[in-house]
Amino acid sequence: MLSEPDFRAELRAWVSEKSGVEVTDHSPIFADRTLRSVHIPELLLLMERLRGTPIDVEDLRPTDFRDIDTLATRFGVRS
Amino acid sequence: MSLADSVAAVAKRLSEVSQHSYQNPYTALDWPETVDPDVDWFSSPELLSLAGTPEWDAMPEAARKRLAFYEAVNFYSLNIHGEKSLMAGLAERLYRKEMIQVADYLHHFLDEENKHSIFFGGFCTRYARVYRSRQFSVNEEEVPRDVGDFLFFAKTMIFEEIVDHYNWLQARDERLHPVARYINRNHHVEEARHLIFGRQLVTELWRTQQWDAQTVDDVRGYLAAFITSSWREYYNPDVYADAGLTDPWEAAETAWQSPAQREHRRTVTAKCLGFLASEKILPEEPVDAF
Repeated sequence: MLSEPDFRAELRAWVSEKSGVEVTDHSPIFADRTLRSVHIPELLLLMERLRGTPIDVEDLRPTDFRDIDTLATRFGVRS
Repeated sequence: MSLADSVAAVAKRLSEVSQHSYQNPYTALDWPETVDPDVDWFSSPELLSLAGTPEWDAMPEAARKRLAFYEAVNFYSLNIHGEKSLMAGLAERLYRKEMIQVADYLHHFLDEENKHSIFFGGFCTRYARVYRSRQFSVNEEEVPRDVGDFLFFAKTMIFEEIVDHYNWLQARDERLHPVARYINRNHHVEEARHLIFGRQLVTELWRTQQWDAQTVDDVRGYLAAFITSSWREYYNPDVYADAGLTDPWEAAETAWQSPAQREHRRTVTAKCLGFLASEKILPEEPVDAF
């Protein structure tokens, strides 16, 4: 199972690959349009694969996608 | 700005055909009480998301048929979710001044999409379930209305072009259960009209746009990401879990990366990409879709 630092690193790498932009855990990836809503299905699939369980789509809020730190806290590997 | 007479003329002709072929989705198909996913094919095996992968090669026939059933449910679910957005967008544009010349056809378009969802939903809720969508909106910033209209109709056309490839082949596949063939055939017949309209309208909206270079780049980037995202949802871990695969997320990732599936996506999307390239809408294919 992935550690939380690895989860964050995978997300950073994926965002960079998608956008060509290097991001930190606190970069506002959607507000600054590094990513757009059209990328969310792929992002959810990635996070589900990394944590090995589904994410309840009905329970999502726009603020869950503020930055990688928020994503890791909300959807990352549970300790 | 009004639409070109050529688009209005096509819409008028298509409206006449839609009126002539108007159907009742509640009486058009006799639904069997039950179906047997281990016995009948519900998707063409060559079109499945695991076709050409080692996982597929190792599957016995009953497991392949079970996967084909759940992939049919996923295909129908993707259509339901796509049509929900489409219907909302069509309703929003009904009788707007820029679209007034095609309002009559937008009524048919909306009506036919609703009926498609009745068929797709009828199958999913009778025999399985509607798979969840992973689409979610966080930053749909306001874009100029003409940009929004272009993206809406271009996305609709791309989605329908991909779907129609599956419909066209599966409607003719005599191995498939009659209900699956009917749903695919019925969808293809009406989508063929929607695609004619979509291509005309997308061409016209693109031809008359006067956007700056940044907007054009944004639109192209969005459409490329939309193509990749649309394809990604064909590789649904929920399907693989229902079909009994042990690690559904890894199966999705492996299938997505497999050379056979990359080639499959490229083949299915070729006609659509050819159109987008010929109109100079999307001169280069999306790098991460294939």
